[in-house]
Amino acid sequence: MKHSLLVTRPNFDLTTRYISIWAKKIIALAEEKGSAVFDLDKNRANRKEFESIIRKKEPSLVFLNGHGDYNVVAGQDNEELIRVGENEKLLKSKIVYALSCRSGKILGPSSVKSGADAYIGYDEDFIFLYDGNKRTRPEQDKIAEMFSEPSNQVMVSLLKNHMPKEAHKNSKQSFARRIKKLLSSQSTALESSAVRYLIWNMQHQVCCERYVIIN
Amino acid sequence: MVSEQEIKQLVIERLKTLPEEVGMSIGSKGDFNKNEIIAHVEKGDDIGQKIVEVEMNFLRGLKDGMLYET
Repeated sequence: MKHSLLVTRPNFDLTTRYISIWAKKIIALAEEKGSAVFDLDKNRANRKEFESIIRKKEPSLVFLNGHGDYNVVAGQDNEELIRVGENEKLLKSKIVYALSCRSGKILGPSSVKSGADAYIGYDEDFIFLYDGNKRTRPEQDKIAEMFSEPSNQVMVSLLKNHMPKEAHKNSKQSFARRIKKLLSSQSTALESSAVRYLIWNMQHQVCCERYVIIN
Repeated sequence: MVSEQEIKQLVIERLKTLPEEVGMSIGSKGDFNKNEIIAHVEKGDDIGQKIVEVEMNFLRGLKDGMLYET
């Protein structure tokens, strides 16, 4: 099945610069698979365009990248794109992955209650380490890549037509593989530190579908 | 029983071993270099407490055998 995919990619600080670049791999994969991709990057990651694309194009997958909190996911310059009680009904019949802090806690379940097929996100802060020497070239940052790969696995699986709970499981397994690899090698101080944050992200990724939250 | 102060010190000592160029992104709380992270932990503010919380989570996980389950 070919999907249509809406991606929001704000880019105005280090965190959004990194995750915006990480999402490019998903866009390339989706295009390779023949999916229609609606890429709202930088200033296009605003509420007006977001709501317009959702209504007009009705994408089956929504990939949100940006800052967030329990009730909200934001776009460029932290403009709120979707907030509990305001417009989460727009996610009806959609599968959502939010690479965003905390939104899996309240916005996720609320979206599903309002008709979303599934919402995969994080119920706490998403934390990653990066190489300060690569901060202007995130695509070359091997430290950050330890965090991007397991996260991106959610979208890779969804684009391969896996069910949301399978995509969630595959991502967690990807985190676990990375963690085991770091623990089984002669860990450097950096790798040892990275393990803590990988475990944190893995444990706090949640999948909410049909009123069930899978941890 | 390990005290919170001991955990804090443990976290700081481990952070000191990180390469100088490593930074950390904690979502909307911002991004921090090594010295800033250590300063936050020493200060015990929101960001410092988050770092300590992650460490506590890791230590609890070790105790509960979490790494064998993953």
